[in-house]
Amino acid sequence: MTPAPRRLATLALAVLYAAVAAFFVVPLWWALVGSLTPLDDVFRHLAPFDLRALWPTHPTLAAYVALFRDHAFGRVLFNTAFVALATVAAGLVVNALAGFAFAVMAFRGKRVLFVAVLVSAMVPAEALAIPLYRVVGSLGMLDSYGALIAPAVSNGIAIFLFRQFFAEIPTEIMEAARIDGAGWVTILLRLYVPLSLPVTIAAGLLLFVFQWESFLWPLIAAHSPNVMVLQIALANLQQQHSTQWTQIFAASSLAALVPLMLLLPLQRYYVRGIVGSGVKG
Amino acid sequence: MAAPAEQRGPRTGPRRHEERVAYLFLLPALAGLALFRVYPIVEAIAGALYRDVFTSHGPRTVFAGLANFGSLVADPVFWASLWVTLELNLIINPLQVALALGLALMVDRAGRAVRLYRLLVLVPIGVSLPVATLVWRLMLDPNGGFVNALLGRLGIPPQPFYTSAGQALWSIILIANWKGVSYWMVFVLAGLQAIPAELKEAAAIDGAGPLQRFARVTLPLLRGPLLFVLVADTVINFVMFVPMYLLTRGGPSGATNVLMYQAYKVGFAFGDMGQALAIVTVLLALLLGVVTWQFRLFDRGWGRS
Repeated sequence: MTPAPRRLATLALAVLYAAVAAFFVVPLWWALVGSLTPLDDVFRHLAPFDLRALWPTHPTLAAYVALFRDHAFGRVLFNTAFVALATVAAGLVVNALAGFAFAVMAFRGKRVLFVAVLVSAMVPAEALAIPLYRVVGSLGMLDSYGALIAPAVSNGIAIFLFRQFFAEIPTEIMEAARIDGAGWVTILLRLYVPLSLPVTIAAGLLLFVFQWESFLWPLIAAHSPNVMVLQIALANLQQQHSTQWTQIFAASSLAALVPLMLLLPLQRYYVRGIVGSGVKG
Repeated sequence: MAAPAEQRGPRTGPRRHEERVAYLFLLPALAGLALFRVYPIVEAIAGALYRDVFTSHGPRTVFAGLANFGSLVADPVFWASLWVTLELNLIINPLQVALALGLALMVDRAGRAVRLYRLLVLVPIGVSLPVATLVWRLMLDPNGGFVNALLGRLGIPPQPFYTSAGQALWSIILIANWKGVSYWMVFVLAGLQAIPAELKEAAAIDGAGPLQRFARVTLPLLRGPLLFVLVADTVINFVMFVPMYLLTRGGPSGATNVLMYQAYKVGFAFGDMGQALAIVTVLLALLLGVVTWQFRLFDRGWGRS
């Protein structure tokens, strides 16, 4: 290529890269800026469009104050964090135990059970929300923390992640410990758990994000204020106060910042986790 | 049961003990999956065979055979909803796979700048679909939202976006792409980076141009990741619910009334559980069929070397 067309191609490529990055970043950035801006400014800088829409010229926390004062977001955040953390804590134990059994131990029906676990992970949770409503209802658990936590604890993908990780640990040490008379619980706790920080982070993030983002299930199974979670409170806010853009921005920013603060520093584990669940599977 | 066990040798003390401990370790996880993942499928199919009726003794649930499916077949709203579901999926699934591949090719480079760029592109992974929908709702607000303000600067008249039957589905596709494409890109990128550089170099030495190298070397080796992304993406998009609930309420005039939203509406707004479970059953059967077909397609189809 002659220099001029080559420079043109480089320019076109640069524009493409910039446009793609803007597409992914600008909406959330705009929401974050809007959450820190007086409501009038948000509208003023859009009619006509003005770059000050992307910078808080008169920063204020009024929208956040209103969320906590008028819309009980303190309680909502507590509920969401409690449900997510309880799911992670219980889920790590339950799925690690199953992953360990699948990876290391010998028992009849192993293949069939493992395939069943993988198939169950392919069925999308939303498709099962309505029948699940009847199952959880007949257990008398609707509208409680339990209704939100219990169905999310066992997770086929988390079991898969633990199984893959444990299966790669050489069995010689384990066999030596068996000969020395160590029990299975000791082997799991002393030999396997200390090595499993990466898979624990990946599976923990998976369980956390699943719970933090779920919508249809809490919408139908837990709507009373004392168990309401963030995504549902956000939907209610939009439906009841649709003109309060800054409050919607503030609630959206809160809902996005927590997972982002976890995912950006830990993204390598998370990415390895989701890739592990897909490409190999 | 006994015969195959004996073939593997006698079940002496330690082996039987190991097996018992293994089942104990599996019990909590498998019980949870059985109760909350497998049994609801049974509940959907069984519940679709019953119907609530109002008698002089109050409401009762009675066996109705296939009556719920019969009234689905006779309901034009169901057929319209089925078509919207298929239309959405015929567009969005190939589109997201293609865009994820494009984005993966863009960021498949070494260096600090690209690492930072990748981080920016991955921002939507941390944003839930409800948040994405609500932020984009204001971005696309027909009266003075961000996008119309920007279009105004370029001299383009304001668009109705999700408030018009013609643009509502495309608005939802836009939002789902914003949320989804970089997530799926991660899988494609992993596939790209697993391709040995020597293969591409060898093709280059043989005189293959960049396009030929992509079509003959890269694409066939990406078959696995692309199939995974297509199937997993389809499974998610077939039951898409959040944007329909938060943005369009299935409208305008049914333009975004997908089966998942229709099932929710029938079950929880109209209170007809039998009918809602019949729709869920149809949805599950449809999903099984489509996923099986996709696996077949990739098995026979392109790029098998």
